[in-house]
Amino acid sequence: MKKTSKVKYRTDEVMTAYLFLLPALLLALIFIVVPIILAFIYGFTDYYLLKPDERTFIGLDNFIRMLSDDLLIQTFKNTVYFVVLVVPIQLGMALGLALIINKKFRGNTYYRVAYFAPAVLSLVVISILWSVLLNPSSGLINQLLSSLGLPKQPFLTSTSQAMPTLVLISAWSGCGYQMLIFLAGLKNIQPNLYEAAEIDGANTWQKFKHITIPGLRAVSMFLIITTTIQAFKLIVQPMVMTGGGPDYKTMTLLQYIYEYGFRHRNTGYVSAITLVFTIFLVVVSIVFKKVLKEE
Amino acid sequence: MNTKLKRLLFYLLITLLSLLFILPLCWMILSSFKIDETIYKDLGTVYAFIPRFKDLTIRSYQELLNLYHIFKNMFNSLIYASITVVIGLIINSLAGYALAKFKFPFKNLILIFIIALMIVPIEATILPLYLVVNQLKLINTIYGLLLPFLTNVMNIFLFRQYFLAFPNELAEAAKIDGLGHFGLFFKIVFPVSRPIYVTIGIITFLASWNDFLWPVMALSNSDLMPIQVALNAIFSDRYNIFTSHIMAALTLVTIPIIIIYILFQKHIIEGAARSGIK
Repeated sequence: MKKTSKVKYRTDEVMTAYLFLLPALLLALIFIVVPIILAFIYGFTDYYLLKPDERTFIGLDNFIRMLSDDLLIQTFKNTVYFVVLVVPIQLGMALGLALIINKKFRGNTYYRVAYFAPAVLSLVVISILWSVLLNPSSGLINQLLSSLGLPKQPFLTSTSQAMPTLVLISAWSGCGYQMLIFLAGLKNIQPNLYEAAEIDGANTWQKFKHITIPGLRAVSMFLIITTTIQAFKLIVQPMVMTGGGPDYKTMTLLQYIYEYGFRHRNTGYVSAITLVFTIFLVVVSIVFKKVLKEE
Repeated sequence: MNTKLKRLLFYLLITLLSLLFILPLCWMILSSFKIDETIYKDLGTVYAFIPRFKDLTIRSYQELLNLYHIFKNMFNSLIYASITVVIGLIINSLAGYALAKFKFPFKNLILIFIIALMIVPIEATILPLYLVVNQLKLINTIYGLLLPFLTNVMNIFLFRQYFLAFPNELAEAAKIDGLGHFGLFFKIVFPVSRPIYVTIGIITFLASWNDFLWPVMALSNSDLMPIQVALNAIFSDRYNIFTSHIMAALTLVTIPIIIIYILFQKHIIEGAARSGIK
């Protein structure tokens, strides 16, 4: 055992290895690790960016302040509301589309391209396009509703409809790419499993439940985790479409960090929020991985 | 139910579904070739989605390009994305290669470090990142914009997984030919591995082209603005411009991406599959 554990290094190989690793690791250190350390340090101070010299240690004050910060709590609720709705809706749509495209039928390519089409748009383009489409008075969607004899809707200008609207837009634009990932998962399921099930007289639902679902486990796990984390970091759509409104009903956590940390320069307090938010997301991804693995 | 009717219903359903995804895009592109009066006159009719050639005009594009420097912003984005792709591919693949093929002290520790960084939610730490870049006096420079996102730990990990499966025999043969570690990497490994470079490069390019939050924070100089930030500025200016202008801008920005998707569709599908099934 001792012989194998003692690895012999060759100097040229060691030098080359470190040289190869240096640029990537150095940049990661400066731009990923140092910011986390800074958030940790500043989170315990009353640092205000415009007055850098008056920085004092204030212990846990920032963290206590969060608990009674109504706007922060509101943005947390908004973000959780978005996550809880968008993850099942978007992944459900993606899986449904993947199951359709996975069938063999004439015109398959057209439908694949069509379902994927919104995925080529950037988040900013999607946000602007839908802002125009959903305009309460002159937007296309309300025109269509009126020509169908339905009442016009306020959509993004209503406190109750704004967030659900953002959920649907995000699902609309995001499900195409995830459809591709589900499709790759479906292609990985051995076709002879289905053939065997058919010989045993299984119906479509039974085949789906006992072959497709278990076969997609790894892909689904990956998608649930990444979509959840991604959804917690929602910011572009509310920034462009609603500015967090109406009445802060679409303001998300990351947007709060941007508004009050970056624009209002409340560095110390928002560093503390950053710290809690980062730890929260890390815990969410670790817990999700554990729970989903055990299932 | 007989199979013919069943198939008809299936096609009806998936076609309606497909309209849901493409009609907004059709409307965007079509409206960019109209004047606002026509856009709003057509809204409640099928002509919102079907072109009537006598109504089409490129006026909105001409006016848009006179009012804003869209091409300059697109060119900025192209430069930023290209630099990010080229330097990112080099440094991330070198790191991934070292972790896959070399023996050196602290190798496992560095690998654990990389994997740990993969769970750090990058955008969440955007404020302290801004503080670091500000401290380095790089705000409003192309360095401050690009340096933070060159290292991509996910890509390092993907490269490592790929190079782990890379045959050692090729390396042995190269050594006999008298190539050093660098020669081996750039002359043998890199050319053979071109597909994975293209796949990761395309994904990186699209992410960089679409990036919005960091450029908003890192740049205030409008000469340096990438296209996504410029688009938002145009949209915020909406009381001075027309819907047709906005749609022309959105269409212009989307065209290069559509071309990339057409040219590299195999690589993009491969990238999606690779990210899902590790």
